[in-house]
This record gives sequence, structure tokens and C-alpha cells, in this order.
Amino acid sequence: MVLLDNLSNLFWRLIPLLFLTIFLLPIIFVLLSLFGNFNENWDHLINYVLPTYVLNSIILVLGVSAISLVLGVGTAWLVTNYKFFCQSWLEWAIILPLAIPPYILAYTFTGLFDSYGSANLIIKSIFSLSNDYVFFPNVRNLYGAITVFAFTLYPYIYLTTRMAFLNQSRSLMEAGKILGLDNKSLFTRLAVPLVRPAIVAGLALVIMETLSDFGAVEHFAIQTFTTGIFRTWFGLYDLNTALQLSSILLIFVAFFIVIERRERTKMSYSYAASTFKKTKQVQLKGINNFFAFSFCFFPLFIGFILPVIELTNWAIFFPSENLFSKKLLQSFFNTIWLGIFVGIICTVFAMVITFLKRFDKGRLLRSASLSLSLGYALPGLVLAVGIIQFFSFLDNVFLVNFLEISLVGSIVGLILAYVIKAYALADNAVESGFERINTKVDDVALSLKKSKFEIFFRIHTPLMKTSIITSLLLVISEIIKELPATLILRPFNFDTLAVITYIYAAEERMYEAASPAMMIVLIGLIPILFLSRIIRDSRPGN
Amino acid sequence: MKKEILSIKDLSFEYDKDKEIFSKINLEMLEGEILGILGPSGIGKSSLLRLITGLERPKSGEISFKGEVLSGNNIFIPAYKRGIGLVLQEKVLFPHLNSLDNVKFGIKGTNKEKEDQALYFLRLLKADKFSNIFPNSLSGGEQQRVAIARALAPKPDLVLLDEPFSSLDQNLRGELRTDTRELFKKTNTSCIIVTHELEEAKSFCDKIVQLKEGNFIEM
Repeated sequence: MVLLDNLSNLFWRLIPLLFLTIFLLPIIFVLLSLFGNFNENWDHLINYVLPTYVLNSIILVLGVSAISLVLGVGTAWLVTNYKFFCQSWLEWAIILPLAIPPYILAYTFTGLFDSYGSANLIIKSIFSLSNDYVFFPNVRNLYGAITVFAFTLYPYIYLTTRMAFLNQSRSLMEAGKILGLDNKSLFTRLAVPLVRPAIVAGLALVIMETLSDFGAVEHFAIQTFTTGIFRTWFGLYDLNTALQLSSILLIFVAFFIVIERRERTKMSYSYAASTFKKTKQVQLKGINNFFAFSFCFFPLFIGFILPVIELTNWAIFFPSENLFSKKLLQSFFNTIWLGIFVGIICTVFAMVITFLKRFDKGRLLRSASLSLSLGYALPGLVLAVGIIQFFSFLDNVFLVNFLEISLVGSIVGLILAYVIKAYALADNAVESGFERINTKVDDVALSLKKSKFEIFFRIHTPLMKTSIITSLLLVISEIIKELPATLILRPFNFDTLAVITYIYAAEERMYEAASPAMMIVLIGLIPILFLSRIIRDSRPGN
Repeated sequence: MKKEILSIKDLSFEYDKDKEIFSKINLEMLEGEILGILGPSGIGKSSLLRLITGLERPKSGEISFKGEVLSGNNIFIPAYKRGIGLVLQEKVLFPHLNSLDNVKFGIKGTNKEKEDQALYFLRLLKADKFSNIFPNSLSGGEQQRVAIARALAPKPDLVLLDEPFSSLDQNLRGELRTDTRELFKKTNTSCIIVTHELEEAKSFCDKIVQLKEGNFIEM
């Protein structure tokens, strides 16, 4: 009996380690490439393209960071501290651009602002200008990409910063006023430094997303690390160098993961040391009212309203033959079943691991859980390269010879990539669900001689219905948007909505790209609206 | 003959339209004086301090400081221009700054001048030994010493204390009270302290008034 118990304990301890090993192996395979040979393609890369990749990536990151900071922090400060026209609506609507993946905004931007784009046509017809007149500047460049990323990613900074501003005690701001700070200095010298960890955590997410993107930079033909990896692999047919480039990108991203994690642990300091007093909102009037409204509405308009109007325009007024085509419906079906399947896997993993953590306070389990949740930050392209390498190894060593199956090119790689990318979302939702269940409930159940297994199924699972649904929705919305890993890992002739959107856009068939893009946005809106509801009710004291 | 530093005339205040806190109260205090205001909770003692500092607007009446009208007659000088110090019962040190930087925060001048002045006040309050320590590593008494130093460091003519010792234990409270009173006298800074403890008011103040039914009664 004792032996059985020990074996059972060992089994439960091994489960998270097994998950972690599967999660880590693709990354290990990417990093191992750094210890291999650096072939002659590196001469070409170093002499001709690598400096451009690095420079473009740096300019992109700096530009996106600067604009996202102004938009994210500025809007968060205004909606938290002031009352103005539509403020209560903007408070949650500001995050809607999260439903638009950067590549879809990039497609609509080119559709709008290219020389024969809708925006230029409207200007030409209003002012009766000649056909070759171009009013809007070219967006297919680095500046266009910076705008696209900044206007889709600033909500990350808004979300973390707004929460920090809300939790900032009014007493601290009053102390600042008494010590001689006017409203402007209060913002720059006190409010912003106080929420710095939250701003940095949000900014790190923005930078990681920018570095990981493939679709938008590819559409604007900008040479960055991700497009470089793709071209090295599919242009030079050199997987090893692509892996080595991926490793460099991974090291950059790891740096920002560490910053994000470190700053998140400090996020509570802005209000931990003071007694909380709810912020008193000031009613703005006249020009200030108009300015505050415009400042908050502008990013929402560029990042959400404008692309939705343009996509709707394309999908409804230029209906192409593929609107209800077999290809689109098949892609929709593929996306949905993949999303649901991966959602279930991630949720079950998260529930098992969080449940185990509840009873085992050991460091090993906690570290494993933390490492698993870092997968969200991995660039999809790097993940795909690592999975291909890992699966090739498995195929070559035994799967093909002994079992006569091959993992490369199968749906398994895609599912693994999705699980690694989306696990953190499920983990967050499930963990917050578990936190709401008092641990004394477990103690009482144990005293009634119920096994942990029974506690999990008969007590925790029924109490966590909302968290489970949230987890599923969040994972589905993440999966539906994912492009680079899907492009590489999808089995032959297997399309998702993101893939066909990309293919149509790459062929400049924007009207046809509109329907799948709209579907991505609509499905992506579900968890965003859910999150918006949480934001609406999240003012302390409400 | 000491000059009048603060004058309150017919001051009325309400948070909401139907929730009047006090009506038409009058008060005068002299330069360098330490004035204690006693009264039960909810009578408006803290609200009065917030009105004097400019964190709230009165319904009517006038507040003058050193002969200048701060609020009344359609005048309202905002808090950041008044130069009146405030120390609260709750801990409101800036958590992202160490003790020295907290005290430096309200001082004007070069960095060297700010540092010297901040250290001077920390020393006077026997708090210089934790000048590099952040608030979350300080005890309640230490935090309050830094908060008082921060309020005094910009050299205001008037400092308002809102039950500053009430969250401390008895021994610490007595010690900090003595040190703070000495400091106010040494720097000739006027002070209003709000408390609900008569003994504390007696040991700290030059003059004590009680806010009762909307009027100040000298004790």
C-alpha cells in the first residue's frame, strides 16, 4: 500500500516535468544550433543583410515603444483620473485593437493608403484631384510598420498601466500636490515613476510581440529577424543558419521576458506602502474635454474602427466569389476545431498543474509551472523551426524506422506549437479560478476521507466553470490569430483563417482577404469583450 | 507681538449637497504657535485640514494665510501653490523613493542644496541613519519620522498634522511627539495638530481648541 502511494506521488510529480520537457525540447534544439558549424551563408548574412535586420529591428522596437508608451500611458492616465465625453465607454473600448492582429491592420493600411487605396480615392473624389495625385504618404515602409504595431499593441501598456493607476492611492497624489507639484509635474514626477514597473511590463510585451511578428513586416517588405529567418530557410534552403538566427532572436526575446517578469513582481509596490483611497475623477470641460476625448478616441479609431470599416467595406460591397466558398468554410472549420482542441489541452494541463501546486508547495513544481507559462513570449517562427528540428530528430532516430510514421508535416507539430504559445493564457485563467476557492474547502473534503482525485473532479471542476470557459475562449482567440508557426507547421493543403488571409494579402487580393480577416477579428473580439467587462467593473470600491 | 498667520472666517463645507460637515466656523492662529484641535471622529477636523491645504474647496467662507486669501471671494489657490505642509496618520511616503529622496522631493534648488537640506531635517528627526532605505523596509515610527521631515524640509510656515502619532505604540508615540515639538519650536514653524486625545494635545500644543457643534471652544 505504501509502495502504491509512493508510486502515485511520483507519477503526479513527474507529470509537470514531462510537460516541461516536451515544452523545452524545441527551444533546446534551436539553441543547440549555436554550438554547430557556422556555414558560408553567414558571410553573406553578415556582409549584406544581418546589419539591416538588426538596424530595422532596433528602429522598429524604438519607434513602436515610443508611440505605444505615449498612447498606452496617456490614455490610461486620462480615463483613470478624469471624466470627459464618452470616458466610461472609452475606458473599456480602448483595448479593442487587441482583436486586430498587426498583419490584418497592415493589410487594411495598404488597402486604404496605397496610391489607389480607399482613403486616397475619397480625397481625390472630394477635391476633384487628378488620378495620379497621392495625398497620403506611402505606408509600405518602416514608419508604416511602426504605426501598425503601435496602434495594435498599445493596449498591452494601457491594461497594465491603468490597473496600476487605479490602485494608486489618492493620498500619494495629494502628498505630491502639497509638496508643490502642479498637474503636469504630478503626472511626470510622481504618477508615472510610481507605476514604472507596470509600464515596463506592458512595454516588454509590446517589444516581444513586435520582434516576433512575421505577417506585418513581410507585407511591408521590411527586413527584420523574422523575415530573415524565413528567407534563410526557404530562400537559401539553409535550416541550420535559420536556427542560428532564431537563437539570436530568442536571446533578445529572453532578455525582455526577464525584464517583464522582474517588473511584474514589483508591480505591487506602487500601492503596497500606503492605505488605499480611491482616485477622485475630475470633470473636464471645454477644450480639455475635447482634447481628452480625441486623445483616447484616436488610437481606437486607427487601431480598430478604421480597419473594421475597411474590412466590412471589402467583404460586403466587393463580395468576391470566395465569401462562402468551400475553401473559406474549410479554413474556418479547421481554425475552430484546432482552437477548441488546443483550448481543451491547455485547460486540462493548466488545471492538473495548478491543482498539483495547490497541494505541493515545492519549488520544483512552481519553477516548472512558471517555465511552462513563458511559452507565450516565444516567437511563433522560432518555435516552428525548433519543432521541425526536434521532430526531424525523433523521425530519424526511431519513428520512421520502427513505427513507420513521421511527425514532420503532421498536425502534431502545429498542435504542439499552439499549446506552447497559448498555455500561459489558460494558466492565468485557471489559476485565478483556483485562487477563488478557499483552501479550507480542500481540508474539509480531506477530513471527509475524499481523495485528491475526487476533490478535483467533484469540488474544484464544478466550481471553476467560468474559469474553464474563459481559458477556452482566450486560447481560441490566440490560436485563431497565430500566423508564422501555422504557415510553417501546417500539414500539406491544410489552411486556417490566418493562413488564407496571409496568402490572399500576399497576392494583393485584398477583397478576398477581407472575409477571413473579418472572421479572425470577430472571433478575437469575444475574449476582448469579456476582458472589457472585467475592466468596466474593475475600479476598486465599485 | 506675534503676527497672525492663519485666519478662517465663516467657513462652511459639505461633501455632498445634503451632507454638511460644518458651517460658519472661525479660527485664528499666531506665527510659531502649535495649535491642537480636539473633537470626536466625523466632526470635520480632517476636512478642515484638507481645506487649509487646498485639497478641498469650501462651500463658503474665507481662509487667509499670512494675510493672503487662499480661498474665498471667488479666489482659490491650488494646493501646490500654498506651501503648507501636511502629515497624515496613514503612511504616504512615496514607495519608489528612499527616505532621502522622499525628503528631497518638495525642496527647491540644486541637487546638492536639496540633499544637504534633506539630510539636515532627517538628522533633526533622528532619521538620517535610514536615509538610503525604502519605505517598505521601515517601521511605522521610522516612516512617520521621514514623513514629518519631508513636510518640514521645504520650510513651510505652517504644517498640519492629522493624528500623526495615533498608529504608533505608546513609547514610540511619546518619543516622536517630543522630538517633533522640539523641531517645530527650533524652526519656528506654526503647526496645527488634529487629535482626539486630550493628553497628547496637552503635551504637544501651546493652545488647544475643541470643535463642538460647529464652533471652536478654547480649552
